[in-house]
Order: sequence, then structure tokens, then C-alpha cells
Amino acid sequence: MANLLEQLNNDMADVVDQVRRSLVQVSVGIGNGAGTIWHSDGLIVTNAHVVGDFVDGRGRRRQRGQTQDASRELTVTLPDGSTVPARVLASDAERDVAALSIDAHDLPTIQLGDSRAIQPGEWVFAVGHPWGVRGAASAGIVVGTGAELPEMPFNEREWLVISLKVRPGNSGGPLVDVRGRLLGINTLMTGPQIGAAVPVHTIAAFLKDKLGTPVVGFPSS
Amino acid sequence: MADVLVNLSNALADTVAQAGQGVVRIEARRRLPASGIVWSADGVIVTAHHVVERDDNITIGLANGESVPATLVGRDPSTDLAVLRAQTNGLTVLGRDSFDGLRVGHLVLALGRPGKDVLSTLGIVSALGDSWKSSMGGTVDRYLQTDVAMYPGFSGGPLVDAAGKLLGLNTSALRDVSLTIPTPTLDRVVSSLLTHGKVKQGYLGIGAQPVRLPTAFREQLGQETGLLVASVETDSPAEKSGLLLGDTLVAFDGGAVRHMDDLAGLLAGDKIGKALPAKIIRGGQLHDMQVTIGERA
Repeated sequence: MANLLEQLNNDMADVVDQVRRSLVQVSVGIGNGAGTIWHSDGLIVTNAHVVGDFVDGRGRRRQRGQTQDASRELTVTLPDGSTVPARVLASDAERDVAALSIDAHDLPTIQLGDSRAIQPGEWVFAVGHPWGVRGAASAGIVVGTGAELPEMPFNEREWLVISLKVRPGNSGGPLVDVRGRLLGINTLMTGPQIGAAVPVHTIAAFLKDKLGTPVVGFPSS
Repeated sequence: MADVLVNLSNALADTVAQAGQGVVRIEARRRLPASGIVWSADGVIVTAHHVVERDDNITIGLANGESVPATLVGRDPSTDLAVLRAQTNGLTVLGRDSFDGLRVGHLVLALGRPGKDVLSTLGIVSALGDSWKSSMGGTVDRYLQTDVAMYPGFSGGPLVDAAGKLLGLNTSALRDVSLTIPTPTLDRVVSSLLTHGKVKQGYLGIGAQPVRLPTAFREQLGQETGLLVASVETDSPAEKSGLLLGDTLVAFDGGAVRHMDDLAGLLAGDKIGKALPAKIIRGGQLHDMQVTIGERA
């Protein structure tokens, strides 16, 4: 009979395994981030700052003077290791969310959680590719949520603040609760040991605004 | 599936919600507010000295969302503690951890309330030890170091155990690791501040510097150094007790005196007015004498 800590370890590893099935890597030629499979027909969500200037919808940089670099391509690497081209469906620098589309079907979507109901103290996991380490996980707890948190940038925006480290390569990757349900996408650090995620209800609102369709299975905001 | 993890997560959130009732916001500096601990139901609040940057115009934000004015009762920079009093009643006081079962590796939570809501970070007890002296000469009854992240505004807030019981007050000012001023020290300092408005400190009235002892004394006393008396203030407790320029103080009140820190530690407030045994080297001879401690003004 496994002791309590061993049971806890198994539970944690199960959550990470489950979340990794919906985790992708988003590459922009130089540098990369993470992304989360939102819809089985190829809809990926990530941070706007991960895709940067890929905004023309064809997976190419916006032409800015004569500096277009055609060798840079936007691609997504799926959990099975295959890499496919991606295009930006919509991007919102202010909310720091982007929606990507890839030509794929029957992808394992992530379950959605409730970022408005989560309480300080609850256990959470960030899964991504920190410093390029594929599928790496970190655990921490929710510090607090909302738009009135100390020393946050863009203070009118809502954040999910977490006591874990968000590193380059984590951006756009899933933050999940103890049942592996998406609470937000990991976005930035707000101190040496404290990370912040864009809450899933902000992402749902973004998708509704930009793509026009209400998000199936998500409580309307 | 995932029962242990789900239960753990729910238990942590419950602990934060419950213990958060005893955590208040302290508005006593220009930038971000900090946190404080409800010490008594009738409005005594303990917080960190370094977050109380002004003596007046202090506001406390209660767990129920109310804001109430508070006055400064006193502060002890040596332990980085301050006591405030708010005109209110019916506050929730946290239960206390006895420290008896506390071990390195136990889960602990740091709580804060720099805004409206309680916030929390999680960690484990990293190190436990006996009493230590802060760089400003304050005695801290236990060494309690954790790896909890100190989120902005967490200074002055509580460290609680897994059951939400108070272990002490978190400060980021004394060392650059997450340190907690344990409840026995809070008891001592708060009671002194409530009674006297300050923490009493003993006083001798000497200037001294550590010197290496002659070989014979090193072997006899089992210590390498003592304190050479380089000046004696007029009318000071040291002068009245007969300490002279050139004496080397090697022991006081039963404790060895090797460095200035040793002496500072032996000059605790509860020794004021008492005649205590001292050992000095004078003229190449070891002498015993009595020294009566005064009070630092």
C-alpha cells in the first residue's frame, strides 16, 4: 500500500500525463513557446507574444518595410512529435491571447476549468517547454485572482497569480487544476518566484469576440 | 482517481479561507500596503516594523472588507515588529501551533492581504533551530526558515501550519531568505510594547573591542577572545560597578563573552537592575566581580 505522499505523487503524475496530450509547441523560427489544443479540429490557443508579428493569417510575418524574412515560419509541434504549419486566426496583444489554426482533426482537446471559482491555496500545474525542455511540469498554488493584485502590469486586466515559475518556453502553455482542467495560459512572471496566467474566461471571451462563435461547454460570460 | 491531490488542494484552500480571517491589510506606507496579524479580538494588530513607515494616519483593512483607523502602540526594529491598535471588536484571532510537532519538511502557508482579498503562497519548513540574534541585536526565540515565496505586501502577515494555526510573522527584512518571527517572540515583544511602548534593553556603558587572549587564559577559559574595555562612560552602570579602562571582559552572567554579539545577547531587558557575576582579566589576573545592568534610554 503506497503511503500518502506516493499516492500524491501518482495523482500529480496522472494530471501531468493527461495535460501533455493537449500540449503543443509553437515555433516562430527563432524561439518558441507552448500552446494548448482548444478544439479537436485544429484550434490552438497561445499567448499573442509567442506568435509576435505573425498576424497576416498565412503563417508569414506582416510586411514591415522590406524586412520580411520568408524563411521564418509559424509551426506547431503536436504531442505525437509531428510538426505542421500554422496560421494565426486572431491575435490580441492587449489580452495577450492568440488563436492558431492547424490542418488536423481528432486532436485531444483540453477540458476547461472555472477560472472564476478557483481559490487561493488550490494546487495548480503549469506544463510547457521551459528553456526548451519539452513537456516539463511545475506545481504550485494559486496566490490570488482578479484585477486588483499588487504589482501587476496592466492592472485593469484580470490575472491568475500562481506561486510557480513561468520560464521562456512556458508562455501559452496550460495552467490546470488538480483534475487537469484548463484554468489559464501561463504568460509572465511578476516577481522572482511568482507567475501569472491569463484566465481561461478571458480566453473564452477573446474567442467569442474574434471568431464569433460562443465556446461550446463554457459558461457564458 | 486523483483523490489525494484533490483532497490536498481543497484542504489548502480551506485553510487559507479560514486562517485568512485573522489577516488584515496595513496601510502605513506610501507604496503598496502590507499585511498584519490580528492579535486580539478587540483590535490589537501585530505587523512588521519596516512596513509601518509613518506613525500617524494608519488604516487597517479587515477581513470583512471594512477599513478602520489605527494608532501605533510601539515598534521594535531589532525584531522588525510593530504593534498597532484599531478601534474595533469581534476580530478573529488565529489559533496557535505549539511548535512541538513542527519538523523540517512540513507544509506551511504564508498569507497576506495587501489588497481586498487574502492571498497565499505555499512552502515547506526548510530549517528549524534555537534562538538567534538579528543584526540589530534583537533576540528571536527560534530560527524558522521556509521556502515560501514572499509576494509583494506579504511582510507582516502570518505563517500558518497545515491546520491554519499561527507559527509566526513573516518578514523579508532581517535576512534575504524567508524568515518567520515565531510566536514566542511575538508574545514577548507585543507584551513589552503594550506595557512600555518599547522593548527594554539592558545597558552597560562601555566601548569595547574583541582581543585575542594570552595562551594561558585561552586554555583555562576555553575561549580564544574576550572584550577589551576601551572606554567607560561617566556615571554608567559599568563605572558604578567598578569596570576600568583596560579590563578584558571574558564572561558575564554565566556566559562566555567573546564578541560584541555575545555581550548584546546577555544584556536582555529582563536583567535590568540586577547585579550579575562577571569575569575580567585585569593586570594579568582573572577577577570575579558583580555588575549591575542599567536600562538603555
